[in-house]
Amino acid sequence: MKVLSGLTLAATLLIPSFANAHTPLFSCYDMGDGTIECEGGFSNGSSASGVKVFIKDASGAEIKNAALDENSYITISKPDGAYTVTMDAGEGHAVIVKSEDITE
Amino acid sequence: MKKALLSSLGLAACVLCTAPAHAHFMMTYTPETYMQKAENADFRLVFTHPTEAGSVMDMGGVQEFYAMHKRGDNLKKTDMKKYLKDITWANPGSKAPAYAATIPAKEIRSMGDHVFVLIPGYYLEKEEDVYMQQISKLILNVGGAPTSWNEPVGLPTEIVPMIKPYALWTGNIFQGQVLSKGKPVANAEIEVEYMSNMPNMATNTMPKESSVDYKNPSLVTQTIFADENGVFSFGIPKAGWWGFAALGVGPDTEYKGKGLSQDAVIWVQANDIK
Repeated sequence: MKVLSGLTLAATLLIPSFANAHTPLFSCYDMGDGTIECEGGFSNGSSASGVKVFIKDASGAEIKNAALDENSYITISKPDGAYTVTMDAGEGHAVIVKSEDITE
Repeated sequence: MKKALLSSLGLAACVLCTAPAHAHFMMTYTPETYMQKAENADFRLVFTHPTEAGSVMDMGGVQEFYAMHKRGDNLKKTDMKKYLKDITWANPGSKAPAYAATIPAKEIRSMGDHVFVLIPGYYLEKEEDVYMQQISKLILNVGGAPTSWNEPVGLPTEIVPMIKPYALWTGNIFQGQVLSKGKPVANAEIEVEYMSNMPNMATNTMPKESSVDYKNPSLVTQTIFADENGVFSFGIPKAGWWGFAALGVGPDTEYKGKGLSQDAVIWVQANDIK
């Protein structure tokens, strides 16, 4: 009985976090040293730490994937040619940044 | 005829007599408080009466001008004083030294809140023989991620917003808490002004023409009070820039042997729903 109450409480506590509006946010900058730095976040202030990031070439083939660090950042080597960087925070929560939009 | 002229002169004089001294506001201004992606941000720091483009005063130099930004749990302070340039700001009938700064996009490119802080020098209000120092905050958001907009910076005195000051609709209630040395200031007196004469960044002036017809001098500078927790509320009636100045709330009360009013100022920008 006690276990069930605990579970119910846990479920109740979790519900509001799912109900929050949280638009994924993602931006990348060319650091001018052969790397690009990207940072993720959510419009409700949630951390994007651990969220997967995919770097793909112009054909859509994956070059690399990694996860955002504890500060929701990642630094990656700048690929040759055109590429995209995708922050994939789950269904309906992917943000794609194109290389032509990545400036210093 | 002569009598009528004298009477009207008397009336004019009387009207001037009763006109209240407009509120002094340390203006920390940049045209937009929200940027989708960081761009160079043009700032003007002017000590003036922004409503009705009143007198411009010498703020006594700048002690500090910086921005706080939070990355994860790490709070970073970036000095922005190095970008300041001396200018003269001119309103109709008054001009004084002020500052301009172009903050490079690279300084604010990280998503989130960039809390700009201006700690000016001291201004001697000769009529009252007291000094004034208005510690001013303006929060610029990049990319829509909220980070530290609602956290105290740790200033001697400050207004901590309780609603994002860069994400206000016309008609929203702006709420803030007045702090002195981190503690709420019960019943703090706050003056509120609307920037009805928008700054011209190209000429460093404010126009004579106001966007508001003030029918009553008490509407030029509204006075409100905080509650016992230092929290105040103000319904925003019009899109644009609103300044809030909590008067004499800072811990310092004396400068160079004279009284000092150490005030906390915050600027917010409201948008119409279109």
